[in-house]
Amino acid sequence: MPRKSSLRIPGFSSPAFLALALALVVLAPGCAEQQLHEPPPLVADTSSLRPLPFKGRLVSGNPNQLPPIVAMSLSDNSPITFSYREELTHEEHHTPMILSALENLAFLSNPTGEYVVTALASLSISNGGEPIGDYTAQTRIARPYGMYSQPTHKELDDAARAAVRQEIDRKLEAEMPKLAASTGDTE
Amino acid sequence: MSSRIAILGAPVLAFLLGGCAVQGKSFEPAAAPSNTATIYVYRPYSFFGSLIHPTVQCGDETAAIGPGGYHPFVVPAGRVTCRTGTEAADELEFDADPRVYYVRERISLGVLVGHPQLDPMDTDEAQSEIQTCCKQQQ
Repeated sequence: MPRKSSLRIPGFSSPAFLALALALVVLAPGCAEQQLHEPPPLVADTSSLRPLPFKGRLVSGNPNQLPPIVAMSLSDNSPITFSYREELTHEEHHTPMILSALENLAFLSNPTGEYVVTALASLSISNGGEPIGDYTAQTRIARPYGMYSQPTHKELDDAARAAVRQEIDRKLEAEMPKLAASTGDTE
Repeated sequence: MSSRIAILGAPVLAFLLGGCAVQGKSFEPAAAPSNTATIYVYRPYSFFGSLIHPTVQCGDETAAIGPGGYHPFVVPAGRVTCRTGTEAADELEFDADPRVYYVRERISLGVLVGHPQLDPMDTDEAQSEIQTCCKQQQ
Protein backbone atom coordinates (compact mmCIF):
# COMPACT_ATOMS: atom_id res chain seq x y z
CA MET A 1 0.00 0.00 0.00
CA PRO A 2 1.56 3.29 -1.04
CA ARG A 3 2.15 5.70 1.80
CA LYS A 4 0.96 9.26 1.50
CA SER A 5 3.89 11.65 1.55
CA SER A 6 3.74 14.56 3.96
CA LEU A 7 5.96 17.47 4.88
CA ARG A 8 7.85 16.65 8.04
CA ILE A 9 9.81 19.22 9.97
CA PRO A 10 12.48 17.67 12.18
CA GLY A 11 11.62 17.94 15.87
CA PHE A 12 8.08 19.29 15.36
CA SER A 13 6.46 15.92 15.77
CA SER A 14 8.40 14.93 18.85
CA PRO A 15 6.34 14.23 22.00
CA ALA A 16 8.15 17.05 23.83
CA PHE A 17 7.12 19.59 21.19
CA LEU A 18 3.52 18.39 21.20
CA ALA A 19 3.40 18.55 25.00
CA LEU A 20 4.86 22.06 24.96
CA ALA A 21 2.39 23.25 22.31
CA LEU A 22 -0.52 21.78 24.28
CA ALA A 23 0.69 23.41 27.49
CA LEU A 24 1.04 26.77 25.75
CA VAL A 25 -2.46 26.59 24.29
CA VAL A 26 -3.96 25.75 27.68
CA LEU A 27 -1.87 27.99 29.88
CA ALA A 28 -1.34 31.17 27.87
CA PRO A 29 -4.97 32.15 27.33
CA GLY A 30 -5.90 30.72 30.71
CA CYS A 31 -3.60 33.10 32.55
CA ALA A 32 -4.80 36.09 30.61
CA GLU A 33 -8.44 35.23 31.24
CA GLN A 34 -7.75 34.93 34.93
CA GLN A 35 -6.09 38.33 34.93
CA LEU A 36 -8.93 39.98 33.02
CA HIS A 37 -11.68 38.52 35.14
CA GLU A 38 -10.06 39.34 38.46
CA PRO A 39 -13.02 40.55 40.48
CA PRO A 40 -12.98 43.98 42.07
CA PRO A 41 -12.50 44.02 45.83
CA LEU A 42 -15.73 43.22 47.58
CA VAL A 43 -17.43 45.79 49.73
CA ALA A 44 -16.62 45.06 53.35
CA ASP A 45 -19.15 43.13 55.36
CA THR A 46 -20.54 45.94 57.49
CA SER A 47 -22.30 43.59 59.92
CA SER A 48 -19.02 43.14 61.83
CA LEU A 49 -18.41 46.88 62.14
CA ARG A 50 -19.20 48.86 65.28
CA PRO A 51 -20.22 52.53 65.22
CA LEU A 52 -18.02 55.19 66.79
CA PRO A 53 -18.40 55.72 70.55
CA PHE A 54 -20.17 59.01 69.81
CA LYS A 55 -22.56 60.45 67.25
CA GLY A 56 -21.57 63.24 64.91
CA ARG A 57 -23.09 65.67 62.47
CA LEU A 58 -22.02 65.65 58.83
CA VAL A 59 -21.04 69.18 57.83
CA SER A 60 -19.30 68.34 54.56
CA GLY A 61 -19.78 65.34 52.32
CA ASN A 62 -22.54 63.24 50.83
CA PRO A 63 -24.46 61.25 53.50
CA ASN A 64 -24.93 58.43 50.96
CA GLN A 65 -21.22 58.22 50.17
CA LEU A 66 -19.53 57.64 53.52
CA PRO A 67 -17.37 54.97 55.14
CA PRO A 68 -19.79 52.57 56.87
CA ILE A 69 -18.58 53.37 60.41
CA VAL A 70 -19.16 57.10 59.86
CA ALA A 71 -22.55 56.43 58.28
CA MET A 72 -23.55 54.43 61.39
CA SER A 73 -22.55 57.28 63.67
CA LEU A 74 -24.54 60.15 62.16
CA SER A 75 -26.80 62.40 64.15
CA ASP A 76 -28.50 65.68 63.25
CA ASN A 77 -27.79 67.42 66.53
CA SER A 78 -24.35 66.76 67.92
CA PRO A 79 -21.52 69.12 68.80
CA ILE A 80 -19.16 66.67 67.12
CA THR A 81 -18.83 67.17 63.37
CA PHE A 82 -17.63 65.02 60.49
CA SER A 83 -16.17 66.38 57.31
CA TYR A 84 -15.60 63.78 54.62
CA ARG A 85 -14.15 64.25 51.16
CA GLU A 86 -13.48 61.71 48.45
CA GLU A 87 -11.70 62.27 45.16
CA LEU A 88 -11.12 59.95 42.24
CA THR A 89 -8.47 60.30 39.58
CA HIS A 90 -8.38 58.22 36.43
CA GLU A 91 -5.59 56.98 34.20
CA GLU A 92 -5.75 54.87 31.10
CA HIS A 93 -3.06 53.04 29.25
CA HIS A 94 -4.01 51.97 25.75
CA THR A 95 -2.09 49.90 23.27
CA PRO A 96 -2.53 51.60 19.88
CA MET A 97 -5.21 49.74 17.96
CA ILE A 98 -2.97 49.03 14.98
CA LEU A 99 -0.50 47.28 17.30
CA SER A 100 -3.29 45.37 19.07
CA ALA A 101 -4.65 44.23 15.72
CA LEU A 102 -1.25 42.94 14.68
CA GLU A 103 -0.53 41.26 17.99
CA ASN A 104 -1.62 37.64 17.95
CA LEU A 105 -1.81 37.48 21.74
CA ALA A 106 -4.54 40.13 21.73
CA PHE A 107 -6.76 37.54 20.05
CA LEU A 108 -5.84 35.09 22.82
CA SER A 109 -7.35 37.49 25.37
CA ASN A 110 -4.11 39.26 26.18
CA PRO A 111 -4.83 42.74 27.65
CA THR A 112 -4.79 45.61 25.18
CA GLY A 113 -4.88 48.33 27.81
CA GLU A 114 -5.51 49.16 31.43
CA TYR A 115 -7.78 51.39 33.48
CA VAL A 116 -6.45 52.80 36.74
CA VAL A 117 -8.52 54.58 39.36
CA THR A 118 -6.96 56.19 42.42
CA ALA A 119 -9.26 57.14 45.28
CA LEU A 120 -8.21 59.62 47.93
CA ALA A 121 -10.35 60.15 51.00
CA SER A 122 -10.02 62.43 54.00
CA LEU A 123 -12.10 62.51 57.16
CA SER A 124 -11.89 65.21 59.82
CA ILE A 125 -13.65 64.90 63.17
CA SER A 126 -14.05 67.96 65.36
CA ASN A 127 -15.58 68.50 68.77
CA GLY A 128 -16.89 72.02 69.21
CA GLY A 129 -14.50 73.28 66.55
CA GLU A 130 -11.48 71.49 68.01
CA PRO A 131 -10.07 68.73 65.77
CA ILE A 132 -9.99 65.33 67.46
CA GLY A 133 -9.18 63.15 64.46
CA ASP A 134 -7.88 63.53 60.94
CA TYR A 135 -7.63 60.52 58.64
CA THR A 136 -6.58 60.13 55.04
CA ALA A 137 -6.42 57.08 52.84
CA GLN A 138 -5.49 56.32 49.27
CA THR A 139 -6.18 53.26 47.19
CA ARG A 140 -5.34 52.39 43.62
CA ILE A 141 -7.34 49.95 41.55
CA ALA A 142 -6.01 48.82 38.18
CA ARG A 143 -7.80 46.50 35.78
CA PRO A 144 -6.67 45.42 32.33
CA TYR A 145 -9.06 45.19 29.43
CA GLY A 146 -8.88 43.19 26.24
CA MET A 147 -10.92 42.06 23.28
CA TYR A 148 -13.09 39.72 25.29
CA SER A 149 -13.45 41.50 28.60
CA GLN A 150 -13.68 45.12 29.61
CA PRO A 151 -14.53 46.50 33.06
CA THR A 152 -16.66 49.61 33.04
CA HIS A 153 -15.36 52.80 34.59
CA LYS A 154 -18.26 52.64 37.05
CA GLU A 155 -17.19 49.20 38.30
CA LEU A 156 -13.69 50.50 38.93
CA ASP A 157 -14.92 53.70 40.56
CA ASP A 158 -17.18 51.70 42.87
CA ALA A 159 -14.34 49.33 43.75
CA ALA A 160 -11.95 52.22 44.45
CA ARG A 161 -14.52 54.02 46.60
CA ALA A 162 -15.28 50.84 48.56
CA ALA A 163 -11.58 50.18 49.11
CA VAL A 164 -10.79 53.71 50.32
CA ARG A 165 -13.79 53.71 52.68
CA GLN A 166 -12.67 50.35 54.04
CA GLU A 167 -9.25 51.86 54.69
CA ILE A 168 -10.77 54.83 56.57
CA ASP A 169 -12.91 52.40 58.59
CA ARG A 170 -9.82 50.35 59.43
CA LYS A 171 -8.07 53.46 60.74
CA LEU A 172 -11.13 54.48 62.75
CA GLU A 173 -11.40 51.02 64.32
CA ALA A 174 -7.73 51.17 65.31
CA GLU A 175 -8.25 54.53 67.00
CA MET A 176 -11.60 53.80 68.64
CA PRO A 177 -10.25 53.95 72.26
CA LYS A 178 -8.41 57.22 71.57
CA LEU A 179 -11.50 58.78 70.03
CA ALA A 180 -13.65 57.64 72.95
CA ALA A 181 -11.18 59.18 75.40
CA SER A 182 -11.01 62.46 73.50
CA THR A 183 -14.77 62.91 73.67
CA GLY A 184 -15.03 61.64 77.25
CA ASP A 185 -17.33 58.79 76.19
CA THR A 186 -16.93 55.15 77.04
CA GLU A 187 -18.32 52.22 75.15
CA MET B 1 -1.44 51.53 -15.56
CA SER B 2 -0.03 52.79 -12.28
CA SER B 3 -1.30 56.32 -12.94
CA ARG B 4 -4.81 54.91 -13.56
CA ILE B 5 -4.66 53.10 -10.22
CA ALA B 6 -3.55 56.31 -8.56
CA ILE B 7 -6.41 58.30 -10.16
CA LEU B 8 -8.99 55.72 -9.11
CA GLY B 9 -7.45 55.07 -5.74
CA ALA B 10 -7.05 58.67 -4.58
CA PRO B 11 -10.78 59.43 -4.16
CA VAL B 12 -11.33 56.07 -2.47
CA LEU B 13 -8.47 56.74 -0.09
CA ALA B 14 -9.69 60.28 0.55
CA PHE B 15 -13.18 58.92 1.33
CA LEU B 16 -11.82 56.24 3.61
CA LEU B 17 -9.55 58.54 5.54
CA GLY B 18 -11.59 61.70 5.75
CA GLY B 19 -15.07 60.86 4.58
CA CYS B 20 -16.26 59.52 7.90
CA ALA B 21 -15.10 62.44 10.02
CA VAL B 22 -17.82 64.61 11.50
CA GLN B 23 -18.40 67.80 9.50
CA GLY B 24 -19.82 70.74 11.37
CA LYS B 25 -19.09 73.81 13.45
CA SER B 26 -15.82 73.77 15.31
CA PHE B 27 -15.90 73.76 19.10
CA GLU B 28 -17.80 76.48 20.85
CA PRO B 29 -18.94 76.44 24.50
CA ALA B 30 -22.59 75.52 24.97
CA ALA B 31 -24.96 77.82 26.82
CA ALA B 32 -26.20 76.13 29.96
CA PRO B 33 -28.85 77.25 32.45
CA SER B 34 -27.84 77.62 36.08
CA ASN B 35 -27.84 74.51 38.25
CA THR B 36 -26.97 72.31 35.28
CA ALA B 37 -23.79 70.49 34.44
CA THR B 38 -22.39 70.45 30.93
CA ILE B 39 -20.71 67.22 29.92
CA TYR B 40 -18.78 67.42 26.67
CA VAL B 41 -18.35 63.97 25.20
CA TYR B 42 -15.84 64.18 22.37
CA ARG B 43 -14.23 61.67 20.08
CA PRO B 44 -10.91 62.70 18.51
CA TYR B 45 -10.63 61.55 14.91
CA SER B 46 -9.18 58.10 14.39
CA PHE B 47 -9.50 56.04 11.24
CA PHE B 48 -9.78 52.84 13.26
CA GLY B 49 -13.35 52.24 14.30
CA SER B 50 -14.53 55.26 12.32
CA LEU B 51 -17.52 53.38 10.90
CA ILE B 52 -18.83 52.72 14.40
CA HIS B 53 -21.03 55.44 15.89
CA PRO B 54 -22.20 54.04 19.22
CA THR B 55 -24.92 55.95 21.02
CA VAL B 56 -23.81 57.76 24.16
CA GLN B 57 -26.41 58.44 26.82
CA CYS B 58 -25.87 61.00 29.59
CA GLY B 59 -28.87 61.51 31.84
CA ASP B 60 -31.93 61.47 29.58
CA GLU B 61 -30.11 62.71 26.49
CA THR B 62 -28.51 60.56 23.82
CA ALA B 63 -26.16 61.26 20.92
CA ALA B 64 -24.30 59.12 18.41
CA ILE B 65 -20.91 60.74 18.04
CA GLY B 66 -18.79 60.10 14.99
CA PRO B 67 -15.00 60.36 14.78
CA GLY B 68 -13.87 63.96 15.13
CA GLY B 69 -17.18 64.99 16.72
CA TYR B 70 -18.39 66.20 20.10
CA HIS B 71 -21.72 66.66 21.80
CA PRO B 72 -22.53 68.82 24.85
CA PHE B 73 -24.88 67.08 27.26
CA VAL B 74 -26.59 69.63 29.49
CA VAL B 75 -27.98 67.75 32.48
CA PRO B 76 -29.36 68.73 35.89
CA ALA B 77 -26.64 68.82 38.56
CA GLY B 78 -26.55 65.72 40.73
CA ARG B 79 -25.89 62.06 40.09
CA VAL B 80 -25.39 61.55 36.35
CA THR B 81 -24.63 58.34 34.49
CA CYS B 82 -23.12 58.28 31.02
CA ARG B 83 -23.10 55.00 29.16
CA THR B 84 -22.33 53.61 25.76
CA GLY B 85 -21.79 50.18 24.30
CA THR B 86 -21.61 47.81 21.37
CA GLU B 87 -20.68 44.23 22.17
CA ALA B 88 -19.04 45.62 25.33
CA ALA B 89 -20.30 48.56 27.37
CA ASP B 90 -18.73 51.30 29.40
CA GLU B 91 -20.40 53.39 32.06
CA LEU B 92 -19.33 56.46 34.01
CA GLU B 93 -21.11 57.82 37.04
CA PHE B 94 -20.39 61.08 38.79
CA ASP B 95 -21.90 63.58 41.18
CA ALA B 96 -22.09 66.47 38.79
CA ASP B 97 -21.76 69.99 40.16
CA PRO B 98 -22.96 72.91 38.01
CA ARG B 99 -19.78 73.08 35.97
CA VAL B 100 -18.17 71.66 32.84
CA TYR B 101 -16.93 68.07 32.53
CA TYR B 102 -15.10 66.41 29.67
CA VAL B 103 -15.32 62.78 28.62
CA ARG B 104 -13.34 61.33 25.74
CA GLU B 105 -14.82 58.52 23.72
CA ARG B 106 -12.47 56.10 22.02
CA ILE B 107 -12.88 52.79 20.26
CA SER B 108 -10.72 49.82 21.19
CA LEU B 109 -10.33 46.47 19.51
CA GLY B 110 -13.32 44.13 19.76
CA VAL B 111 -14.17 40.64 18.57
CA LEU B 112 -16.79 41.53 15.96
CA VAL B 113 -17.05 45.28 16.47
CA GLY B 114 -14.94 47.85 18.32
CA HIS B 115 -15.54 48.54 22.01
CA PRO B 116 -16.38 52.15 22.89
CA GLN B 117 -14.76 53.51 26.04
CA LEU B 118 -15.59 56.66 27.98
CA ASP B 119 -12.54 58.19 29.63
CA PRO B 120 -13.03 61.01 32.15
CA MET B 121 -10.54 63.71 31.23
CA ASP B 122 -8.66 66.51 32.90
CA THR B 123 -9.94 69.90 31.78
CA ASP B 124 -6.54 71.10 30.53
CA GLU B 125 -5.94 68.12 28.26
CA ALA B 126 -9.55 67.92 27.11
CA GLN B 127 -9.77 71.62 26.22
CA SER B 128 -6.95 71.28 23.72
CA GLU B 129 -8.18 67.96 22.30
CA ILE B 130 -11.77 69.10 21.83
CA GLN B 131 -10.62 72.03 19.67
CA THR B 132 -9.93 69.49 16.91
CA CYS B 133 -13.52 68.20 17.03
CA CYS B 134 -16.64 69.48 15.32
CA LYS B 135 -20.13 69.66 16.76
CA GLN B 136 -22.04 66.47 15.98
CA GLN B 137 -25.22 67.23 14.04
CA GLN B 138 -28.05 65.03 15.35
